[in-house]
Amino acid sequence: MEPNQDWMIGKGSWVFAIACLLIAAVMMRLLLRERVTLQGSMSYLAFLMVLGAIGLFPNHASQLANYLGFKLLSNFLFCAAIAMLALLHLRALVTLSKVQLRSVALTQELALLSEKLDRVEQRQSASRNAE
Amino acid sequence: MRVLLVIPALNEETALAGLLAEVRETQSALPEHVIEVAVVDDGSTDRTADVARAGGARVVRLCGNLGIGGAVQSGIRLAAREGFDCAVQVDGDGQHPPGEVVKLIATATSGDKPDLVVGSRYRDKDNFRSTPLRRLGSWWLRMILRVVAGVRVSDPTSGYRLYGSRALRLFRDTYPYDFPEPESLAVARIAGLRIAETPVVMRERRGGRSSIAGFSTFYYMFKVTIAILLTAVRVRRQIPEETSDGT
Repeated sequence: MEPNQDWMIGKGSWVFAIACLLIAAVMMRLLLRERVTLQGSMSYLAFLMVLGAIGLFPNHASQLANYLGFKLLSNFLFCAAIAMLALLHLRALVTLSKVQLRSVALTQELALLSEKLDRVEQRQSASRNAE
Repeated sequence: MRVLLVIPALNEETALAGLLAEVRETQSALPEHVIEVAVVDDGSTDRTADVARAGGARVVRLCGNLGIGGAVQSGIRLAAREGFDCAVQVDGDGQHPPGEVVKLIATATSGDKPDLVVGSRYRDKDNFRSTPLRRLGSWWLRMILRVVAGVRVSDPTSGYRLYGSRALRLFRDTYPYDFPEPESLAVARIAGLRIAETPVVMRERRGGRSSIAGFSTFYYMFKVTIAILLTAVRVRRQIPEETSDGT
């Protein structure tokens, strides 16, 4: 049975591809302005490229959906998008947890060094007063 | 024995002055020990740090709020780094009478010299009684800790505890951040620390408010239960070797 490709044929696919390109452009702008790191955004860029490819070549996506047993291309796209977004979220969570642990350690180190500095200054001030 | 009293405090200007006065009395009552006090100001917005300085305490001032676990770990790091024999956690809200430190030290230096001593409010029947919900939660945590990690304590949520040198070395690098008390017991037991318990008197808090109330009680129970289960299946944490600088 042929998968239903109506929504992808014609203008729809181009709108989809342009939306992906726009998001990719925003992403590139963020990268160029160093608001996000390249390392952190590679998986996101890959996700966008896959979406763009699907938009440009819907027939290949239909064949893949059919091969995987999906009756409708839209079902396949929703499932794939949810899976990819879940992976992206997981990756972001790992990064965020690492940053959180580093931030806690740095906050503690800063406080301990600051306390040490306070005591050194107090000692110096006391010895100056004694002289 | 060199002892560091670690007092984590968040907006505790009301209770802290009285607590530090009691600490000074305890210091003079225990001349055989060198007792220093470090107040860990966990990002307070009131005069907690000023009150602590005026009370003669060392002040470790965190630039942001890390929560009780992060604050306690800061004190543990300080104690480990400066070669203290042990650190005693005393809550900044006045629930833990500093005079009871003597019981914790006595337990830590007797018998098989435990690495972690927990002050229990439930071992003495005439002691402070908490709400039925808290007691139910405490029962659940006792059971989980016993079954999963083999920890046998009557008051797993007690923050009044003494960390010996091995516990300091273990927890300076890794200490649970959210609601750390029960989880840290599981971590300690699985890492091979000896845990003991001694009855202590606890009071109602003199200032501030509990972080566990209302809906957060259920979140607390759920989170801590998961954390203890994860600790049991996680790779056992090794206790770092003692280095030449005493840490």
